[in-house]
Amino acid sequence: MAIANDEFRGLIETHQRMVFSIALRVTGDYATAEEVAQDVFLELHRSGESLFSEDHVRYWLRRVATHRAIDALRRKAVRPEAAAEEWVEEQHVREASESDVGLQARLEDLLRTLPEPMRVAVVLRYQEEMAPDEIARLLGQSLASVKSHLHHGLKLLRRKAAVTMKEYVREPA
Amino acid sequence: MSVNQPEEPFTKFERELTQALRAVDPPDGFAERVMARAQTSEQPRAKVIAMPRRLPSWTSGAIAAALLLGVFFGVQIHLRHQREQAQIAQQQFEDGIRITDQALERTRQQLQRAGVLVGD
Repeated sequence: MAIANDEFRGLIETHQRMVFSIALRVTGDYATAEEVAQDVFLELHRSGESLFSEDHVRYWLRRVATHRAIDALRRKAVRPEAAAEEWVEEQHVREASESDVGLQARLEDLLRTLPEPMRVAVVLRYQEEMAPDEIARLLGQSLASVKSHLHHGLKLLRRKAAVTMKEYVREPA
Repeated sequence: MSVNQPEEPFTKFERELTQALRAVDPPDGFAERVMARAQTSEQPRAKVIAMPRRLPSWTSGAIAAALLLGVFFGVQIHLRHQREQAQIAQQQFEDGIRITDQALERTRQQLQRAGVLVGD
């Protein structure tokens, strides 16, 4: 049995930013992200009978959005480095001051250059603010593996930022 | 780094990253497009649900019996039609023979009256 229309619309409006953002940051492509996000909500619509709480819905959406986005990324077989220039042309509207926009936009660009496992872990950690053990559960990976992806992902991002961004301020030791 | 100890506050770089990865809005009309797709994907499913998932076990036997009866009555009707056609043809043949016999008999009598002996 599917979810009633009113309830379904409410769920879309509540969670669309989260689902779309996960899809966008993982796939790195605006159109693919919308397609993935739509598919995730349609899957929710079909399987809605088994979702019984708000937390469960949020967890389910995060998990399915992440896996569908990874699937889409693998299907497209887009190499992050090859697609980085497209990302610059597709920048979306941000709600931040102009000085922040440059730095944050570049960080987002650099995120796209990370290998998939690192990128996914970083998105879930810093966009969704999930703890490493939650990420491990969601991805079905070991905690050590998630921590390793996060550690190396952050290190790589930091190194790329130091090389490419003049605005970047180094951390005090 | 706060990766290994999640209870620690984020470093400056991590805070920048968190800011960079704030959730963004999907394109305008996203919810409407999802609702439209959900409604169109419901329609064929409703038809499927309306169909019985499995036919009763006697249904195939009943269908076979109905087909056999249909074939049997069809053959019977065809045979009856053929018999009627044969009877009509037989009747027409007999009428033709009778008319011919009558004509020959009249001719023989005329010839006999004229003094010509034919046959016998």
